[in-house]
Amino acid sequence: MAFVLGKFSSNLSPKCNSALINFIRNGHHLRGKPPGVARSLKQRLQEINYKDPSLHFRVDIGLPAPAVSRSKQLQERLKVLKALRKNPDLEKLARNKKLLIDLEEANNVWLKTSGLYHVKAIADHYGVFEHLFGDAYFLPVVSLKLYFNKDNVQHPVYYGNVIKPADASNKPEVHYESDDKTLWTLIMTNPDGHFTQQDKEYVHWFVGNIPGNKIEKGETIVDYLQPIPPKGTGYHRHIFILYKQEKKLDFSDFKKPGKCLNLEDRTFSTLDFYRERQDDLTPGGLAFFQADWDRSLTDFYHNTLNVKEPIFEYDFPGPYIRPQEWFAKRRPFNLYMDKYRDPKQINKEFLMRKLKNVHPFKAPPPPLPFPNAIYFEGYVPSWLKLEKQKSRMKWGRINDIE
Amino acid sequence: MFKLPSIPRICRGFCTQTSANLPISENFVNRNPRNLERMRIGYKPDGYHLEKPGRCYWHKLNLRKTGRYIYATIDHFENGTVVKASTSEWALKKQLYKCRDTSAFYNLGRVLAERCLKFGLIEIRSDIVPPKPDGKVAQFLQALQEGGVVLQEPPQFKPARPWDQLRLEKPWEVTE
Repeated sequence: MAFVLGKFSSNLSPKCNSALINFIRNGHHLRGKPPGVARSLKQRLQEINYKDPSLHFRVDIGLPAPAVSRSKQLQERLKVLKALRKNPDLEKLARNKKLLIDLEEANNVWLKTSGLYHVKAIADHYGVFEHLFGDAYFLPVVSLKLYFNKDNVQHPVYYGNVIKPADASNKPEVHYESDDKTLWTLIMTNPDGHFTQQDKEYVHWFVGNIPGNKIEKGETIVDYLQPIPPKGTGYHRHIFILYKQEKKLDFSDFKKPGKCLNLEDRTFSTLDFYRERQDDLTPGGLAFFQADWDRSLTDFYHNTLNVKEPIFEYDFPGPYIRPQEWFAKRRPFNLYMDKYRDPKQINKEFLMRKLKNVHPFKAPPPPLPFPNAIYFEGYVPSWLKLEKQKSRMKWGRINDIE
Repeated sequence: MFKLPSIPRICRGFCTQTSANLPISENFVNRNPRNLERMRIGYKPDGYHLEKPGRCYWHKLNLRKTGRYIYATIDHFENGTVVKASTSEWALKKQLYKCRDTSAFYNLGRVLAERCLKFGLIEIRSDIVPPKPDGKVAQFLQALQEGGVVLQEPPQFKPARPWDQLRLEKPWEVTE
């Protein structure tokens, strides 16, 4: 009602509303527009993030999805369903809650039907197409199966599962269905790990002109390099893309001799690569995994790549500190002033205080069982008492130097 | 808009064995949109104070039942539905006797768990409370858990401010 009342009073002359003025409460204004008129945060965000579909649309660059005759499919399916319904054993199992479907078969059927779209959705969720192809996408029509073998254990690559670098040290086994007359290209890249250019990728494996699905008969353009996510940078996507070739292609520009352990030479951009050859290449298969740092990588950086191991730390945005006031009322002066001092200076003071009691040659005294039971000599103001108690208990800023 | 910048700051490691240095730019950006969520430092909405809880998640499990089928989805707070499974899919329907009975719920849970693991989503928030302790929904949740999905998400890690009492351990530095 506050805004209605405000309107009312503005229409009245100052003389006659002197009685009304007493009823206007100035402390309780309705801030902003009234509910119903004002937009919610969700609506505002939607407006900010709105993208014009005539400008921001995506193009399908992949192989066409397998065409199926709907009526035929329906007929076949109805037949199967009828048979299922007449199966008394299945009914019994279902009734006794013991019916367990074959997951492997379900998975195979899924990959050929709705699975294509589900995999595309999860690849979008992981930003795969956005970072590799920009405004293009494709359906993974060719189901690509990859396994890393390590100590007789298979580590399959799906669509975003985590594989440790130690398990992916050797090149994977690759399986897909194709006839022998076709030619294929398989490229594995990491779009998250480039040390110098953020929008570039490292190519980890590049095999071109693969006849059919015989990967070992293909031409190895860049040799396999295991995932090398540096410590502290989290999970890196490693993406395998299988392209179908229209003809035999010459990849000599990308050819790297030997093991190619210089990372700069492995700089790659899928978008540029694809743009130049889009008439001859069509992406058809997709698989990717995530890898994060593990202990085996220290050794790999030192002994194989012969470089220092880089270690990163996440740079958090600093805390919000509001502008300083001349008269900060009802706030403890020491805590308030500390917020506006140089944190390095504060840490230095803590360190100096600590070093005063440190003897260079003697062992430090054992920690006290009840640190707060020490008597304060003479008069100590309460704020200083609290500061000392905090330091003894190792609370607050003292943690920055410990 | 609310995303934290994913710019880890570099600190050079100490290593005496080798001499060469990698050319590294000062800021390293991991472009993986799921990385910060997995490291537990990505933005996670808190929801509103007086609201019924249920908005605070990265990935959330939803279950929808219709007269014939059941539909289970995993929703992301920004990207919407990212994983789907339903008994109306031919892959499941082909092997089930009925698409809404208890064994359908149980098998749907198994299939969804398998897909979640394949897609690298292991921890998922679930607000579903089964109406009966051994009913259909409970069977579905049990199958998900047996499949290896954890129906709980860790809280977002927020860095300690200088005046905070304690410095919590950083989750990504715990490797063992």
